[in-house]
Amino acid sequence: MNFKEIARRGETGPLMEAGEFLMKRVAAGALRLQKSHEIRWDGKTLLNLDDAMADRLWQAGRELLLGTGIFSMNSRRVIELSAEEVDEALRFVPQHLAMGAGKEAVTVRHRGIEDPRKPFVFSGPFNADTSEEMFVHLNEAFAQERLIDSLLFPGYLKTLDGQMIRPTSALSSRAAMLYGQWSREAVRRAGRPDMPITGHAVMALNEIACTNEAWGLRATDPRAMVLISELQVDDVTMTRLAYYQAYGCPIYLAFTPLVGGYGGDPAGTAIVAVASFIAAAALGGEVVHIGPQHLKFKQQTNAHSLFLASLSNQAVARNSRIIATTSHTTSGRPGNGEEGAQYPREFSALALCAVSGGSNVSGPRPAEPLGFNNVSPLMARLFAEVAHAAAGLSRGTAAGIVEKLYERYKDRIDLEHSPRGLPFEELYDLKTLRPSAEHREVYERVKEELAALGVPL
Amino acid sequence: MANAQEIYARMTRAIEEYDSDAAAAAAREAVAAGLNLLEAVEKGFADPIRRLGEAFDRMEIFLPQLMLGSEAMKAGMAVLEEAIQSAGGTLVNKGVVVIGTVEGDIHDIGKTVVAALLQANGYQVHDLGVEVPAGRFIEAAQSQEADIIAMSALLSTTMLYQRDVIEMLGNKGLRERFFTLVGGAPVSQKWAEEIGADGYARGAYEAVALLDARKEARGR
Repeated sequence: MNFKEIARRGETGPLMEAGEFLMKRVAAGALRLQKSHEIRWDGKTLLNLDDAMADRLWQAGRELLLGTGIFSMNSRRVIELSAEEVDEALRFVPQHLAMGAGKEAVTVRHRGIEDPRKPFVFSGPFNADTSEEMFVHLNEAFAQERLIDSLLFPGYLKTLDGQMIRPTSALSSRAAMLYGQWSREAVRRAGRPDMPITGHAVMALNEIACTNEAWGLRATDPRAMVLISELQVDDVTMTRLAYYQAYGCPIYLAFTPLVGGYGGDPAGTAIVAVASFIAAAALGGEVVHIGPQHLKFKQQTNAHSLFLASLSNQAVARNSRIIATTSHTTSGRPGNGEEGAQYPREFSALALCAVSGGSNVSGPRPAEPLGFNNVSPLMARLFAEVAHAAAGLSRGTAAGIVEKLYERYKDRIDLEHSPRGLPFEELYDLKTLRPSAEHREVYERVKEELAALGVPL
Repeated sequence: MANAQEIYARMTRAIEEYDSDAAAAAAREAVAAGLNLLEAVEKGFADPIRRLGEAFDRMEIFLPQLMLGSEAMKAGMAVLEEAIQSAGGTLVNKGVVVIGTVEGDIHDIGKTVVAALLQANGYQVHDLGVEVPAGRFIEAAQSQEADIIAMSALLSTTMLYQRDVIEMLGNKGLRERFFTLVGGAPVSQKWAEEIGADGYARGAYEAVALLDARKEARGR
């Protein structure tokens, strides 16, 4: 089934209200399938080791999608899919995907469980609020990290010329164009002019204005779109999909299943997650990004979300050829001293769960950045090193390390009381774009700590 | 005819089983039995819905159950409210809230959780949905005789519409009439202060606590 047919069903499918779709189709369906397929969380496992449950989860997620379809929020129509159509979409989903150009041409691949091949690393400011004056410096510092395969969401321009940017305004079109120019300028300054830049300018439809082969984002740069929780799309996302598919960009499609939401507990939400993986593939997603949200903790390294990420990625890795990547957001924020160590402990725990489960990696970023530029390229280096080291680790070994790391940060995952961190400009020397000695100390110390725990760094 | 304790037990069970029809039926029974209806509200509905809110906080139940429980209470309360008003009485609620996600923003779940939890905690809630223009917040607040306007924004680029609602209230000379509450992922206390909002809540539990504290302070 092609995109034209998907778009047609978005105008002609069964009509219903969003509440009815979410409660009667998604919530009731997930609850029923959780019981019939015995998808359970035991309340303590962080990294799933149960292959049979991962396979049952795949079946439950597929059945859920067949029962729900995908809700088009603006038309209030359901895009329903038959079993044959879902299977066809899964058969033709790409197993590997090229992006970037020239010397920076890279390929992201579907990975298997405990796959010894290194995961693809998407990293960058990851949509943390980014100030105008720091935008190029910050992205250059990320791009100079050679383990990062693609720059990820080069930032979130909240203001331009001191003015807040209203979506769809003329200011937002100008911001989108600058976003394209500045992102390209940053990778050029880092000596990687053809490095793929994943992500958009978050300017609603005006983001399209950042597209320009000469100075902005190109056909070789993946474009990111996000499904709305749960299993919903809106006109803006569908319009972006139509445009970027026609333009020839790799399609990076994200979804954010909500733990504690319509899927219920982590096991029920995992069913929604697998249904969303398949839905994203059916919509034309070529790299599918899972970014679980948590109703209470609002980050992704709590016990529920670790389990959810490991189980749902394993279900996808074992039963499909979908190229998966996992978002990493934390309670801790990049900083110095012992306070700064929580951030890498958290993203390392999740990276071990994701990579051993067959995923690539996206991130890291604090879930609640404080102020502008609250991210660190040096921590992205460590993130990439951990993700690479995790490739080939057995899940049993990874699970043991994850448990130890979790013990070290679990008492400070409340966002209000988690380490506050520092902005990029206080962690780096802006003239040399090198991390400060204090920030390097955190990197060295946590790296040693991780190695001592058994991460083969 | 069932005695008061039996009817309260049925009302409680209806909430615990998320059954709107049973909640309305038990409420009708309370009216027919001539019970003290204000006491029936407290013992039959308020206690179980409070427990439901606490269970949600501990993540023992989840959003669908919280919403269904709130809906069941709403169905039962409609019956009791009508009977109380017919008898010339009034049902006290903690406050009337209009809530919505601001213009240009289609994110629904965060706002829905706040609405359900406020309802479960005794507020009368009017959920305006998503992409709510500034003028509609104000019209709804006036028509529903609300005292609280709660605005959610999930995007950095849409949160400035929270500012517009507050500015428009000022332009219409209505600023002092409503308590304005803002929230959403990119929103902060600093932003709330910058735009002159009366309150900021980082999540649903904090929204309930903040409004309860306001209610208590005003009640003194």
